[in-house]
Amino acid sequence: MAIVKMSKFSLLTFAAKKEELLHELQKFQYVHFLNLKENEDMLEIGLEKIEVPERIASINDEIKNVSFAIDLLARYAEKKSGLQSLKEGRETLEFPELEERAQRINYRGIFEKIHGLDQEKKRIEQEITAIEDEIAQLTPWETLDISFAELYSFKKCQAFLGLIPKKRIERFQADFSDLALTYYEIVHTDSENAYILVLSHHSIMDETLERLKNHSFAHVEFPYTTKPAERISSLKSKVEKLQDEVAKIEDEFVNLSSHLPDFEIVYEYLMNKKIRVSAQENFLKSQQIVVIEGYIPTDRENEFHEIVKRELGNIYYLELKEADRNDPDVPILLSNSKFSGAFESLTSMYALPKYNEIDPTPLFAFFYCIFFGMMVADFGYGLILWLGTAVLLKFFKLAEKQKRTIRFFHYLSYATMFWGIIYGSFLGGIIELPALINPSEQYNHVLILSIALGIIHIFYALGIQGYIYLRDGKPLDALYDVGFWYMLLGGAILYLTGMFVPRIASYENISLTIMGIGAVGIVLTGGRDKKTIGGKLIGGLYRLYGVSSYVGDFVSYSRLMALGLSGGFIASAINLMVQMLFNIGFVGWVFGILVFIIGQAFNIFLSCLSGYVHTIRLTYVEFFGKFYEGGGKSFRLFRSEPKYIDLK
Amino acid sequence: MSFSELLVNYGGVVFGALGAALAALLAGIGSAIGVGMVGEATSGLMIEEPEKFGKSLVLQLLPGTQGLYGFVIALLAMGQLEVGMDLAHGLYILMACLPIAFVGWRAGIYQGKVAAASVTILAKNEEQTTKGIIYSVMVETYPLLAFVISLILLTAVNF
Repeated sequence: MAIVKMSKFSLLTFAAKKEELLHELQKFQYVHFLNLKENEDMLEIGLEKIEVPERIASINDEIKNVSFAIDLLARYAEKKSGLQSLKEGRETLEFPELEERAQRINYRGIFEKIHGLDQEKKRIEQEITAIEDEIAQLTPWETLDISFAELYSFKKCQAFLGLIPKKRIERFQADFSDLALTYYEIVHTDSENAYILVLSHHSIMDETLERLKNHSFAHVEFPYTTKPAERISSLKSKVEKLQDEVAKIEDEFVNLSSHLPDFEIVYEYLMNKKIRVSAQENFLKSQQIVVIEGYIPTDRENEFHEIVKRELGNIYYLELKEADRNDPDVPILLSNSKFSGAFESLTSMYALPKYNEIDPTPLFAFFYCIFFGMMVADFGYGLILWLGTAVLLKFFKLAEKQKRTIRFFHYLSYATMFWGIIYGSFLGGIIELPALINPSEQYNHVLILSIALGIIHIFYALGIQGYIYLRDGKPLDALYDVGFWYMLLGGAILYLTGMFVPRIASYENISLTIMGIGAVGIVLTGGRDKKTIGGKLIGGLYRLYGVSSYVGDFVSYSRLMALGLSGGFIASAINLMVQMLFNIGFVGWVFGILVFIIGQAFNIFLSCLSGYVHTIRLTYVEFFGKFYEGGGKSFRLFRSEPKYIDLK
Repeated sequence: MSFSELLVNYGGVVFGALGAALAALLAGIGSAIGVGMVGEATSGLMIEEPEKFGKSLVLQLLPGTQGLYGFVIALLAMGQLEVGMDLAHGLYILMACLPIAFVGWRAGIYQGKVAAASVTILAKNEEQTTKGIIYSVMVETYPLLAFVISLILLTAVNF
């Protein structure tokens, strides 16, 4: 049984004790709480919901602060190379160790410091932006060799600074050259505007202003006294000083980044605390008593009971019973061997089994390997995959999840090498291997082999459905839904093979009879859940029509041949190109080797990707379709999934 | 040399070459459109979440396979071409190339559409991306079948 057996527990105890109990249970981690908020019966007898929004909010605030610090410091921390960090892996901590360390770390002070520095840095950066704006405004006037103080202190004249659109310059010049008692100078022009200084005597001020207005003259005024160029250089030195300050703060951040691991530990601690605190919202309470329900794996019952007893003394009531097989609330935990375990992610990607189903993982794992191998089917590719995954597994410290994925491909590499030997293919044929089947010539053998494997796969799936019926004490259903199909499909296959090997007399008749019995059986029993006789008959006929989908299923397995072949052809096409390059000479050799490496690497990746997803399709559609439904809830450990460390 | 003579003498190799060309050409166009479509959809995602590049690349590659099937069939068809080959043989090669040419063309586009839609899954719920990949692989069943038929046709009859 690969679905872990569950026990349901109901626990009553004094509310005051619940925090300590939860804390101990988090160390134990194999507890899945039932949410009692929707339990109408309990609510009706007067139990109340427990709500702790303020506590959760305050933890969330802390988490926000810590995440802020982590994000900021991570930018300044010294980065390890990807290889290095893979090799070292993440730190592994026991749960009590994590708590102890997190409590020893006084992160608040450092957080305040980081936060303060960050605010300061932002303030300075804003200041810099403001000054740079100012400089940008002044720059066009840089060549004006007079201080603003002098400019604005003429007695009989007035000075105007301003800009006009560039396209008006000529008309402006024409207009102002004949104006008496007025001086103008174009200080600077850029792509859009001309920057102009105008000096005008008080007596014709009105005329000057009128003309300026006609040319859309936009006045600018500066509240400075020095020359523009002097002002700019003083502003620039100010910016430099401010930038120094920013650099100092950044240095400070680099120094503080040594606290990054501490923040990460605190983060994990807080995430677990949040889960622990919010778990309470699943419980119900009266004035003194709290009601807790949930599931634990049956083989950990004793451990659980010990913890409860130790924490609560004798003041509790605990009821433990086997989980009801047909209860949809029972959470699902899978437990498989090392080999099948590597394939579990595929099961959970489809849907976890319901508690009364069987775990399909160990059932499809072997076929998955065979099919994947047949689609990639190259000894060289398999060897590369094998070597790569073996090195990763052996020399690198990986998280459990990563390890499973790598192990998954490690197992697949064996099948790939196996089929590579059968097809006699090594990196698309650069080394001649004796082939059992030569796929490019005996492709029809490969096709027949593919379909035959498909037939075995589907019969196997039907067999599992039969086993489920028998296990559930429904032998008749097993006959109707599996036995008759075996007869119909088996008879048909016998009949078809008989056409090729017509040796035994009456072979045809026997196979046709088997087929007939199967077909009649399906028509008679296929609609058995319908009420009327007409309904039963139509239901039965419809079931028989389902045979067409079986034909589709079998054909679908031809992808085993097609992908294997196309991958092989592409590999040999790459080799062909390399051969042509090699014939050119030395330069050809260099490029040839490059083309070979890049081309084959690309083909390995593409073949593995195709093999991976197409085998998934065969598993989900053709195989699972015959017996598996799924839809179970996942068992959630009473822990948060660690992000920066490994937690034991 | 009259046109009919030309046709009889050289028609075989020309039609055979046309078959090979169509297989590589149409299936290649389909894949190129499909891959392009997914590329457009994923590049928006890279602005915010560049760490999803690896998975987005997988999605983008999916519609690329049709072009490869067409390429393989074109290679096989090319292997049979000779200057003096029968007109019938050449026409036969042309016909044999049609399944992968047409199915590869249209399926590349449709697979591209599914994969492009799956980019949304990658953006919003990364863990479920494989489901999008599987949806898109459902389309690939048909170019695979077409590939098998083209392959069998190419090698089934000896001239």
